Amino acid sequence: MTQFGRVIDLDRCTGCQACAAACSVENSCSTETPWQVVQKYEVGKYPNVRENFVPMGCMHCEDAPCEKVCHEIDVHAITTNEYGVVIFDYDKCIGCGYCEPVCPYGVPQFQNKRETLYPDKDPTPYEAIPVENQHPLHRKKSGIAQKCTSCWHKIEKAIADDKIERVGIDPEYTPSCDLVCPVDARVFGDLDDANSKVSKWIGEKKAGQMKKEYGTSPRVFYVSSGGDY
Amino acid sequence: MDFDRREFLKGLTAAGVSAPLLSSFNLKASQSHSPAWKPPLADSIKSTCVNCVNFCGIDIQRSDGVIRAIYPDQGRREYYNYGLCPKGASGLFNTYNPYRLKKPLKRTNKEKGLNVDPGWVEISWEEAFATISKKMDKIRQDNPSKLIWQHGHGKYLIGDKFPKAFAKAYGTPNLIHRTTTCEAARHVADELTWGYHGFLPDLKNTKLFVNFGANYFEAEQFSRWLDHASLDAQASGMYSVVVEPRLSVCASKADKWIPVRPGKDVILLLGIAKQLIDQKFVDEAFLSEYTNAPMLVGEGGKAIKDEKGEYLVWDSVSQSAVPFTDEVKPTLRGSFNYEGRQVQTAFDIFVDSLSEITPQYVEKTADVSASQVQELAQMIGKQAMIGATVMVNGQAKRYRPVALHTFRGLSAKQYGVQNWRAALIVQMLIGSIDAVGGMQLHSAYKQPKYFEASKAEFPPKRVDLQESVFFPHASHNVAQQVALTILDPHRFGLPYVPEMQIFYATNRPFSTSDTQPQFESLKKTFNVCIDIVMSETAAMSDIVLPDLTYLESWHFSPTRYTPYAKHTAIRRPATNAYNIPHDGYSIIWELARRLGILDEYIEQINAKWGLKKYPLEKGREYSAKDTVERIWQEKTKGKSFDIAMQKGFVGKHLDDSAIYLGGIEKTFKGPGKPKMKFYADQLVDTLEVVRQQVAKHKIKTIDLDAYALSLSPIPLKGHGFPTPHIEAKAYPFYLITFKKMFRNQSANTATNPILNALGPDSQENGVVMNASMAAQKGIKEGEMVVIETRVGKVQGKATLIQGIRPDTLGVSYHFGQQSEGLPSYARKGIWINSVLELHADVVSGMNSFNDTKCKLYKA
Repeated sequence: MTQFGRVIDLDRCTGCQACAAACSVENSCSTETPWQVVQKYEVGKYPNVRENFVPMGCMHCEDAPCEKVCHEIDVHAITTNEYGVVIFDYDKCIGCGYCEPVCPYGVPQFQNKRETLYPDKDPTPYEAIPVENQHPLHRKKSGIAQKCTSCWHKIEKAIADDKIERVGIDPEYTPSCDLVCPVDARVFGDLDDANSKVSKWIGEKKAGQMKKEYGTSPRVFYVSSGGDY
Repeated sequence: MDFDRREFLKGLTAAGVSAPLLSSFNLKASQSHSPAWKPPLADSIKSTCVNCVNFCGIDIQRSDGVIRAIYPDQGRREYYNYGLCPKGASGLFNTYNPYRLKKPLKRTNKEKGLNVDPGWVEISWEEAFATISKKMDKIRQDNPSKLIWQHGHGKYLIGDKFPKAFAKAYGTPNLIHRTTTCEAARHVADELTWGYHGFLPDLKNTKLFVNFGANYFEAEQFSRWLDHASLDAQASGMYSVVVEPRLSVCASKADKWIPVRPGKDVILLLGIAKQLIDQKFVDEAFLSEYTNAPMLVGEGGKAIKDEKGEYLVWDSVSQSAVPFTDEVKPTLRGSFNYEGRQVQTAFDIFVDSLSEITPQYVEKTADVSASQVQELAQMIGKQAMIGATVMVNGQAKRYRPVALHTFRGLSAKQYGVQNWRAALIVQMLIGSIDAVGGMQLHSAYKQPKYFEASKAEFPPKRVDLQESVFFPHASHNVAQQVALTILDPHRFGLPYVPEMQIFYATNRPFSTSDTQPQFESLKKTFNVCIDIVMSETAAMSDIVLPDLTYLESWHFSPTRYTPYAKHTAIRRPATNAYNIPHDGYSIIWELARRLGILDEYIEQINAKWGLKKYPLEKGREYSAKDTVERIWQEKTKGKSFDIAMQKGFVGKHLDDSAIYLGGIEKTFKGPGKPKMKFYADQLVDTLEVVRQQVAKHKIKTIDLDAYALSLSPIPLKGHGFPTPHIEAKAYPFYLITFKKMFRNQSANTATNPILNALGPDSQENGVVMNASMAAQKGIKEGEMVVIETRVGKVQGKATLIQGIRPDTLGVSYHFGQQSEGLPSYARKGIWINSVLELHADVVSGMNSFNDTKCKLYKA
């Protein structure tokens, strides 16, 4: 059984935001709805102060409240697939917005209208890629919920190529946020494989989960010597 | 952790990151079903990023020929970069940018100014080349020196060897790169001390890393190796100390942050040196065998030499002054009588100079507590493990696992050379230079000429006054001086009046200090600018030529080495987004042809690139790709170009012998060899030449006392007091500048929509200040405030943080673009360079960026 998850080592993260930039590029995000953000905040008072950096995408929770609420209203636009990736179906979503407030991590987003990346200018060749050539998960719609997919379009390719074991290792099968990190602060892989890097990091680096009190059981773990969340 | 993603996203909106509701385009998304997915034809190209000077390996992803994403080249991981920065990851928008220059432009409004409409008209390439070459030809017939070529990033797009070859063929000495707006002072300090420049810490073995203001988690050379390697080293137990006034990311990641008062780093370093000496943490064997610390010095600080010109030391065996040859045991300390003169060892002179730099003095001046100074010195002294050795391939090698590091932190100052010299001296005291675990030098003593006095030329031949009486050891051009000389050539004795400037991929005037004269000078020459966007420099030009971006052009790529590996790479085009027919390479080629100097240019290309086995032939045409192929074959000793096309590079791991058993072991160690300059005696000789030139030519513009201080053979406490600290008494705050990860000063990142959306601080900078200080002054977050210096005023939003000294304000560069050729959202923020005081380091020509003092008040 393969369950994908991620570990982000905040002791290594330098807040460079390459992950956020790469995600937006890979997933054709609009500027108002980034799927990956990097929080920066100080702890302490001068001169005993540090700055912390926390990249956040979707937590792909085992008990995803967004999925729960979407089922409860019988829309079923949010599902967790067999690999543990929580996916939004843009065609089924009715834009009710319930998924947004129930997420403790502020992940689901809605864009008003899809603008060109350069206001007042024609679409760039990147934006003008025909719809049929865009992966369905990149065809965001106004008023419809969207969020990080763990670059499911890449994992899907790994499955099609029978290379599931290369997810998180080969660039074409690795979420772009994890791929570009210049300091190897992130790993992505199979949580059910005890020998995978994600599993080892969780154990050896004593990774924890964010906002555990909400009982969401996120599949994204964080390493931080700064203590609990 | 106290943060909220929703609040963060609201902050993005408040900062205006969201695009206004203007031109949207229809995704044709139906409510029921989208069209079936047809995966496009995907391919990838290995190449090199040139958003900055790290030259990261990239893997460009294309869909049906359109650049879709940029990944790091996995093959490069073991040689240099493991990942990419946000500029690199979003680099396709450096190319896919509707604000790109696409056609040659000619100005029709003769009046030039940043707020003046140039009256651009599009012209053909033919008209552009005809106009430019006609002017260049006229100048060449008169005096080719009147043409100035300036580049900055252009050096990394096509290499400086093509412009150098062209300048040589044309006959102008005036080719100027940007290093004095980068880290020239550090280079010159290196050159004066060990005969070349460049170094990296041996992070696999370093146990204590003391970083003076380098910011490798956000910017600068070698950062895509330093970031990963330093974190690995810390995870393995390396202790990291960062000394700088602001809590940079490096400081956040360090074990200890020492917020030194701006400009006083040299005081702290000299204080550490005194503690090391007082507490006997001195590697005497190293000083005697590798450096000129035992050298005898006489009156006026001049080195004592024999009749053959050999330096003399005091031999403890024969009790006489002799050259350091076999059987001689140099004395490190003492005063002696030599031929009726009182002489001292250089080391003694240095020790005497430190007498007042007690921990208490450092505390008072640099605001680093006396106990902290002592603790840091103890840490350095103990961790250096003086006397320890490790075996490297059967040879005992010094083991000193302490490295000091800097980039602009010590060098971007009026006394930048002396600041870094102080750090070099500390490392000489503990014997850690080129030791296992210490600082590894790049090509020690490659250029012995740096150990000689300068000729201090007058009148100057070059408009930037490089290596003239004004900047006698400026070996890396003096970028900001060009404008000042153009404004008043007579003042500097320049024997001609420059008429034309060609700017290649540089936004020089925007990026210096005290920028107003830079722009004034552009009104005096006919300017051609080759760039990809309408930068401020382009806006002040007469003809603007569009260039190809790094994703659209060929080049034999610069690369960065590490202490353990090096690689050779090329750059290949992945697209030509706007069908631009020329780039910097072909523009120079065409100009050479029209000027009738193509064969000379080809000859110089071969000379500059060292093309011996694979030279270009005269009388033939060479595209950029053709030339790249030849250079690749030459530099890889004949490797097939297919390798370059498939993999983008070839790499080599260095063995331990290459890493640890060369360097200063071969060049400086032992009797009869030249010695590292603990005491830069050549500066004393240079001062003498400067004095002679001033007297001979009656030069009124040189303050000899100021030059005597700058040209001191050893760093002094006076180097901790740059001009603004002495003169600007009514200006209570120190003003420092710093870089951010997602911008450069060339103006071509300002429109990048991905970068601008990263966060509230990525589209606009602010005045960074200490929150407690701000509270005392009643300044709130986001409130408009004014920074006033002796140069001028700017205003911006207050950014309140804990991570900066209360007496210091910080403003990042690369915001406040002025060019009307950029949209308004790309022109937000403070143009801090415009109010920085300029007091160039007269030794190296380094542009000072971090010495200014200012006032702060609400707007």
